[in-house]
Amino acid sequence: MICAGVDVGSRMLKVVLVDAESLAVVASGVVDEGIDQDALATQLVERLAVQAGLRRDDVHAVVATGYGRKLIGMADATITEVTCQAWGIRHRVPEARTIIDIGGQDSKLVRLKPDGAVADFVMNDRCAAGTGRFLEVLATRLGVKLTCLGSLVAQSRKPATISNMCVVFAETEIIGLLASGTLPEDIVAGVQASVATRVAAMAGRHLTEPIIFTGGVALVPGMEAAVHSALDRPVLVAPQPQMTCALGAAILAAERLRGSRTPAC
Amino acid sequence: MSQSARRITLDQWDQRYAELRAAGLSEPSYGGPLRRHVHDGDLRLLKLRTDDSAAALRLWNFLLSEEDRLHQARANGKKIVGTMKDLGTVPVMAYSLDNTIAFYPDGAWWLPCVMENQTRLLEIADSLGIDESFCPVRAMLGAFVSQSHFPIPDMLTCSVGATCDDVAAIAQRLAHLGFPILWWEVPHRRRPDPGEESIELPGGFRAPASQVAFVRSELDRVREAMETCAGQRLTDERLSAGIAQANRVRRLLDELRGLAYTARPCPLPGLEMLIAEMLAIHFCSDQDEAIHVLDELLAEVKRRTSAGIGVLASDAVRVFWVNPVADLRVMNLLEDVGGRVCGSEYLFCHALDLIPEELPPMEALARMALADPMVGSPVDRAERICRDARRFGAEAVVISRIPGASHCALEGAVIGDLVRTRLGMPAVEIEVPPITDSIEPALRTRLEALLETVIDGRRTT
Amino acid sequence: MKTIAYSSPFVPAEWIAAHGMSPSWLQPRPAAGRPLVGASRGVCPYAGALVDAVLSGVEAAGAVMTTACDQMRYAAAIMEHRGQLPVFLMNVPSTWETAAARGLYRDELRRLGRFLVRLGGKEPSPEELAEVMLEGWLGQSERSEHAPVRRVGQAQRSPTKTGRIMVGGTALRLSHPTTPPPPQQKLVPLALVGGPLVEKDSDLFEMVERAGGCVVLDATEGGERTLPAPFDPERARSDPLDELVNAYFGAIPDVFRRPNGRLYEWLGERIAARGVRGILFRRYLWCDLWHAELPRLRQWSPVPVLDFDAVGEEDGATSRTVGRLEAFLEMLR
Repeated sequence: MICAGVDVGSRMLKVVLVDAESLAVVASGVVDEGIDQDALATQLVERLAVQAGLRRDDVHAVVATGYGRKLIGMADATITEVTCQAWGIRHRVPEARTIIDIGGQDSKLVRLKPDGAVADFVMNDRCAAGTGRFLEVLATRLGVKLTCLGSLVAQSRKPATISNMCVVFAETEIIGLLASGTLPEDIVAGVQASVATRVAAMAGRHLTEPIIFTGGVALVPGMEAAVHSALDRPVLVAPQPQMTCALGAAILAAERLRGSRTPAC
Repeated sequence: MSQSARRITLDQWDQRYAELRAAGLSEPSYGGPLRRHVHDGDLRLLKLRTDDSAAALRLWNFLLSEEDRLHQARANGKKIVGTMKDLGTVPVMAYSLDNTIAFYPDGAWWLPCVMENQTRLLEIADSLGIDESFCPVRAMLGAFVSQSHFPIPDMLTCSVGATCDDVAAIAQRLAHLGFPILWWEVPHRRRPDPGEESIELPGGFRAPASQVAFVRSELDRVREAMETCAGQRLTDERLSAGIAQANRVRRLLDELRGLAYTARPCPLPGLEMLIAEMLAIHFCSDQDEAIHVLDELLAEVKRRTSAGIGVLASDAVRVFWVNPVADLRVMNLLEDVGGRVCGSEYLFCHALDLIPEELPPMEALARMALADPMVGSPVDRAERICRDARRFGAEAVVISRIPGASHCALEGAVIGDLVRTRLGMPAVEIEVPPITDSIEPALRTRLEALLETVIDGRRTT
Repeated sequence: MKTIAYSSPFVPAEWIAAHGMSPSWLQPRPAAGRPLVGASRGVCPYAGALVDAVLSGVEAAGAVMTTACDQMRYAAAIMEHRGQLPVFLMNVPSTWETAAARGLYRDELRRLGRFLVRLGGKEPSPEELAEVMLEGWLGQSERSEHAPVRRVGQAQRSPTKTGRIMVGGTALRLSHPTTPPPPQQKLVPLALVGGPLVEKDSDLFEMVERAGGCVVLDATEGGERTLPAPFDPERARSDPLDELVNAYFGAIPDVFRRPNGRLYEWLGERIAARGVRGILFRRYLWCDLWHAELPRLRQWSPVPVLDFDAVGEEDGATSRTVGRLEAFLEMLR
């Protein structure tokens, strides 16, 4: 039997199919977000099932997560990203104790108990300044792709200081820095440091390692180092960081299928 | 003596210092070239332009050596009283004792600017949950926790009530972290009701006598605690002498402001005036030396004024500046675009008024504390700003917001209203974070627009 | 009878009522159209909404504000500067451990009394004041042991046509719940901690229940936390004004008090007694006093804490709040 996890994010819709017994990943995929998330999710699940040599009927349980989770008609349950990330990371990195998840529009810090259950979490879902959005604004202004930020930041010798809390005004700062001759690599370093610092502020003083960095922003070159520097602690990037939330949702679907209690609303 | 005056960079100071030495410069023990402070981490000096006089050199060296002085005082067995959110009251009491000095922890707010964030004080504050939605005074929290700047005071006081939520919140956090604090209350100064016994305060406000009595009783508590800390009695005699000494500083500043803000051309840059005024609050932990520093500065200003020497163009637009700036560089920026500071209200103008010496000392201090414009209505503060702006011949007003400071959010509306309606002069609000490098173009545009408005107005009058 | 609007639990409703006026808890919501002040950066949304509400027009003879925080202090100044409504700014001391602070609060009550008289009220005799305190100012003397723990004022909400004033002070004296009703089965018992709430925040309680929780301790301003202590009948008869001071200034724990440890004592007792399993911490963006307590609360709290920062009634708040609530309840279950 197969279970599906659907993560309806702000930029991408992710699906992971797992074997309900072994929890092995059978297939996974990503599509850009659109207007009809329900249809997108349905199409992606079907496509992945076919690719894996399965039929849609083989998918026996679906859990949806992410900001658009309640729009997914095929979902048997909706569970928040906090819980799904915890389950997904726990599956990949069983010893994880802290999760830093930076997505396109929000960022979270989740503390896990020794048994992997969520002990506490902090979210920034109001301010774009500590999220991938800020990096997108930066990349647009510099006329580069997000994937190129890493090679740029590697050349930085003196990161610029970005002072504004608000990414809208911070964009003005970037323009100002460029106009004053600040090197693009220093601006990139400054912005990445600013995003990482905002996340570190959520963390407070007490963090338990291992710290796992996940979410789409973990894929952006340079961000791992920036978060490491801001926290002054080693940070591990989760395997396939974009997919860990959907993976957690799929695992939770499998748990539900087995009859285990899960924290679903 | 130089026949000219300039604002110079740190690189230019290397040569200037050599010239001054060659001409027989006499310096106190904390003297020396400015560049040494950069080696100690005060990186902002690399971006500032400072006055080129020996007097300004002494002022800067005095300011930037405060931490050394505090550590030396501790080593010499002096008691250090940390006076949080105290713009010139409790320090006067502390300096009245001969084994005690006062220290203004809130002053750490300039460390992120001066050291260009190398201290990570703001990051420490972030990690303790005091993020950038608070005033940059949160650097103080970082400094207490890191203990890498000033020695922890022997006694900590904090004024609360109608003072400042940012400091009250941060101080409560400090108390929770294990730093005992003596809280003393400042009531919201209100206008006396009809028929209510009232008292005129230094600076011209009136307050109910009952409020003055209340503050006096609060300061009595502070006095008792200070006596216990110092192991000395803080007698009225000592206090009177302390008040007289504080007034020496205030008289010097009054004369300095009167000259520097009205003379044409401008004899001293706004940056040095801002730092000089700050000495009124806490004397940079050495009251006697603060007097020498101001003496020298005043002498230089007098010399320049009588010789017609200025640091800026004669037609620089005269700007009244409201609120201190978290980034010192902004004082340079105003002058770079053609303005000059012709008057100021840096949140503590009452600390520039003389403390009445004919009154019993605790009564005098109580009246002084209640005269703080910030503890009353912003309308009162705005009225004083209007009065002083008119007195100093201002042509425009800059209201500098401190990001996160709880009073700045709403007071600008009131101050701006009154300035525009009563004075009929243009006013602009700007927000100045600890490092403004990346927003300098935006700040420059606002200031330039303000000055252009004034210059245009000059043409038509 | 003239109405006096007030927005702080440190303003005794009994005092206003004893002067022959109708106290009315002012729970703001933003004025229609462009906010006059409320949306400015750095302005506490609650203080801004209060200013907007007063400047837009409230149906009252006067308003009473307090000095509990800078934002309210400055808000009162703007109301006076730009508005027509008589505003009384009551100085509530931050320090509370000294006789002088207590005396200041008592003097402020008297001064408030003079303000009320100027607006048409009548100074009460000590007996009249005691009667209002002991009998209830709407003539109700029943005390319910199991009163709902919802928002103070909700029970008797009757908005005027402008919707800006709620005549709800009755609930202030209705109850001192010592044993709240047991939550429905499977609902996670929670505490709601924070400052004042705007009108729309009454939806929060339903949102909590839909997410699987139940607020068994309302420690917000205007909730149980800021109920005055029960009046001692003997003290109330011998010196009613002093008993008002005892019950309000002497008893209400709050974040602005210096020191503010009593807030934690108060919370600790009730969290333990009611089996609270999680704290919902509700604060406004730009509210320094509550914001600064968050890390201390997290460190102190025996149960997990969920932080809600709000800017008032913005549309996006609901989905954000629901998302956080659901994640929190998932964690607790």
